[in-house]
Amino acid sequence: MRADFSKAMIRKIQTNSRAMLISGDLGFMAFEEIIAVAGNRFLNAGVAEQNMMGVACGLAMSGYQPWVYSIVPFLTLRCLEQIRNDVCFHRLPVRLVGNGGGYTYGIMGSTHHALEDLAVLKALPNMNLLFPCTPDQVAPAVDAMDSLPGPSYLRLGISAFPTASTFIWENPETLTRQYAEGKSLTVLGVGHAAQMTLNAVLDPSIDADVFSIARYPFDWHKDGKVAESVSHTRRVLVVEEHYLPGGMGESLKVSLPCVDHFEILAPSYSVGQLYGSARFHLSQCGLTPEAIRRSAERQRGLR
Amino acid sequence: MNSSDLRRFATQVRGKFLEMHFHAKAGHIGSGLSSIDLLAYIYKIWLREEDTFILSKGHGASALYATLYALGRISDELMEGYYKEGTLFPAHPAALAHPDIPVATGSLGHGLPIANGIAYAARHVDRDRNSKRVACLLSDGECDEGSVWEAALFAGHHRLGNLTVIVDANGLQGFGYTKEVMNLEPLERKFQAFGFACAEANGHDFDDLAAAFSRLEGDRPKCLIARTVKGKGVSFMENKMEWHYKPMSEEEYALAVSEQQL
Repeated sequence: MRADFSKAMIRKIQTNSRAMLISGDLGFMAFEEIIAVAGNRFLNAGVAEQNMMGVACGLAMSGYQPWVYSIVPFLTLRCLEQIRNDVCFHRLPVRLVGNGGGYTYGIMGSTHHALEDLAVLKALPNMNLLFPCTPDQVAPAVDAMDSLPGPSYLRLGISAFPTASTFIWENPETLTRQYAEGKSLTVLGVGHAAQMTLNAVLDPSIDADVFSIARYPFDWHKDGKVAESVSHTRRVLVVEEHYLPGGMGESLKVSLPCVDHFEILAPSYSVGQLYGSARFHLSQCGLTPEAIRRSAERQRGLR
Repeated sequence: MNSSDLRRFATQVRGKFLEMHFHAKAGHIGSGLSSIDLLAYIYKIWLREEDTFILSKGHGASALYATLYALGRISDELMEGYYKEGTLFPAHPAALAHPDIPVATGSLGHGLPIANGIAYAARHVDRDRNSKRVACLLSDGECDEGSVWEAALFAGHHRLGNLTVIVDANGLQGFGYTKEVMNLEPLERKFQAFGFACAEANGHDFDDLAAAFSRLEGDRPKCLIARTVKGKGVSFMENKMEWHYKPMSEEEYALAVSEQQL
């Protein structure tokens, strides 16, 4: 998704004279073309994220629209208070772009994984979150952020599973997509975890309504199709590549009318865990297409 | 405006400041008193219409409110609400509350990075506004924060000649003397090493401040280390850590007021 972001960013830089890209010393083999186009509207702020976020606010207060890029934990957790106080309290159009959602950084290790980002950012005032499900949703997500007057966050990730290309419906505003229709349950894949989900539940025998979601706050009114599906099936399965506490599953659950069954499949941290690829980490915590399929079949069986 | 005009203005601000704190039963008196002369200098001498001032030591907010009040930028009606239920003026500056207070501070180490961004925009991005300057007032205890030094590194590297840092060095922080909690000295040489033009001054002597500001030369960020006295102007508060926290009793207020002479 990083390449897709680079392309979208070049377009923003070219069409909006107030757009800027600020990087926390990252972007090798990705941002070279942007730098060539952006001139003094690109800034490498060095390995100093607290200052970087403050600088972005100062630029925003001066009338610019900074897009601030780093690896998710360094962009979000390292300077969380700067995001809260300086960006969110002042409702500034600072756009945070985090690479490596979930286990994307795999063998790079736990310090590079991003399994708490949505939880902490969701709690901040005036914040909007976008977590594209597929690379082709990055450009529309960038456009959506560009149209917001206040803060927003873009979570870029790479799924360990092949990207499903055909969907039957998309809401261009919320980026929610429907991939299959069925009657037994409603399956919601969050962000790039949608790909793993689709690998598990597209089988017609599961008979599920399958959606991917890409935006918080989730608007049940704008995504009436999802609301309608849930009211018919009364059974929901959410899959996400983010810890359960504070994840999208929890947020969806509290905003839903009463349903018969609500299950969230999410990664968990365990003492003594081992390290490997994104796919290895997902398997290690039991989050596999097989497990998703088993949960879906169990819910279908309850009907 | 000469030194005696500045002295008169600062005395007027001190009077208002003490009145506000007495009626509100609010603490952070010592830290406000150490900043008032600096704020007088910044607002009366340094700051032009196009410039920005950021109070990074947010616990000095009431001194800023009193200064803006004395300048006619805050009305009696708004000021009346200071520290009360439903106010726009809490103990630390709030976001989007007043056009002359651009940043909500109170967590230390936030102001300088933002000042950097404004200075960087004017200097390196938006060439039309090259004359804009930014001043940022820090406390010395605040310089414990790593973000201050990230910001200093950035300002030096980008030669932000339109940025001026003023450190209100009163030598006392939250729970001890700065030199005992985490020694910052030599503070001037630290900022120099980060690429700043530096000078030191007595932060309560307007002639000394003027002379020190005039020594801040060259196209690089500037840093004035203002040696101040916490609780300045109220004899029984000077250099006393407890006045970081305590509100005044009626007797203490009367005594403090009696020491303010125009």
